[in-house]
Amino acid sequence: MYNNLRQYLPGESPVHRRDPRVKIIAVVALSLITLHTNPVGLALVFVVVAGVILVAQIPPVSLLTTLKPVMPLFILLFLLHLFFTPGTPLPPFPIGLVSITYEGLYQGLFLVGKFLLLVVAASVLTLTTSPSELTMGMERLLRPLRFVGISSHDLAMMLSLALRFMPILLEESSNIKEAQLARGAVFNSGGPLKKARAISSLVIPLSTGIFRRCEELINAMEARGYQPGPRTYLKELTFDPGDYLVLAVVLLITVVAVLL
Amino acid sequence: MKSSRNSLRGMVYASMFGALTAVGAYITIPLQPVPITLQTLFTNLAGALLGGYLGALSQLVYILLGVMGLPVFAGGKAGVGVLFGPTGGYLIGFVLGAYLMGKMIEMRQQAGFGWIVLALGVGHVVVYGLGIIQLSAVAHLSAAKALAVGVLPFLPGDILKILVAVFLTLKLRDYIKL
Repeated sequence: MYNNLRQYLPGESPVHRRDPRVKIIAVVALSLITLHTNPVGLALVFVVVAGVILVAQIPPVSLLTTLKPVMPLFILLFLLHLFFTPGTPLPPFPIGLVSITYEGLYQGLFLVGKFLLLVVAASVLTLTTSPSELTMGMERLLRPLRFVGISSHDLAMMLSLALRFMPILLEESSNIKEAQLARGAVFNSGGPLKKARAISSLVIPLSTGIFRRCEELINAMEARGYQPGPRTYLKELTFDPGDYLVLAVVLLITVVAVLL
Repeated sequence: MKSSRNSLRGMVYASMFGALTAVGAYITIPLQPVPITLQTLFTNLAGALLGGYLGALSQLVYILLGVMGLPVFAGGKAGVGVLFGPTGGYLIGFVLGAYLMGKMIEMRQQAGFGWIVLALGVGHVVVYGLGIIQLSAVAHLSAAKALAVGVLPFLPGDILKILVAVFLTLKLRDYIKL
């Protein structure tokens, strides 16, 4: 389970070395284009993403692993469009009441292609950028949030805390589950009332344990003089010429996609 | 609870609930027709126990964890693509929903069973509303189809989770010092 939480593949390719801010902006821009474009624009984005994957030397296996969890929903959406779009029937249909149309096939493929590209583009980002780089990039990009009263420094701190505690929470929840099973708790059968009781028997010890951890952490941080607010970094992010080049290319693609 | 804004205490608790929401996706309980995860249970608890501002902040932390590529979205999904994809509306709904739940519960000195049920219910209407809007817009489904795919299968589990969340809120709120 813990391995599940790490996707980053360290590497030295030009894609790995780009500034995390540039990579995040590029993925968001490409995602937005993908959602609002026609098939020609989709092909353009596909070529770009495929090129980046080749340059970054990402093994196809890791991409397929990230696609696995989303497949059921995508297949469902494809079938919905395939069978329920009115239009010219595709031979040998209609068979009885079941009919597949050209329009349905086209729309289903187009939509699912879009969604697959979205997921792949996002995985390229996380496969080539370490979590700490991503947190830093995110912190810098989220600075405008101060206008709604959220400090991006605090948010970055909270992200690192959450990152640090997720494996511990996973372990603790499975420990508690086993402990309650040993005491005769039933999670897999019984009516809603039994289920509700089982969930409570899991969540109450989990929560009280976590509140205790929170208190310890707060004390530890206060004892070390932690103050919410601006801080300095060991390694400051800076754009190099390659980063400006990538930004220019992303801008160009966006303009082309809007004009298409 | 006003003083907890931007304090270290509030930050730590909000990030914990963000992490809990993320971990909740991995704790599944079998139920008909769709097995439930404890994920939205922690969204409910974040709103109900932390209040509006911190509840929303905790859900924002959760979304950012997913955007960073941790497989914490429902079904082990991750990435910005999910946020813009067919199911992204629910995620944005979590932030607004938790905010509304928390704000409604903060309105009462010591909210009772009925009021908390109402608050969580209103929060869910927001989550579903935003979820369906994005689902039907992005996946080009009619509102009725989106409702059939995006709400009805989850309704029994969510009602159960609301009731459990209310019970847990009443039990746990004295343990949490904000």
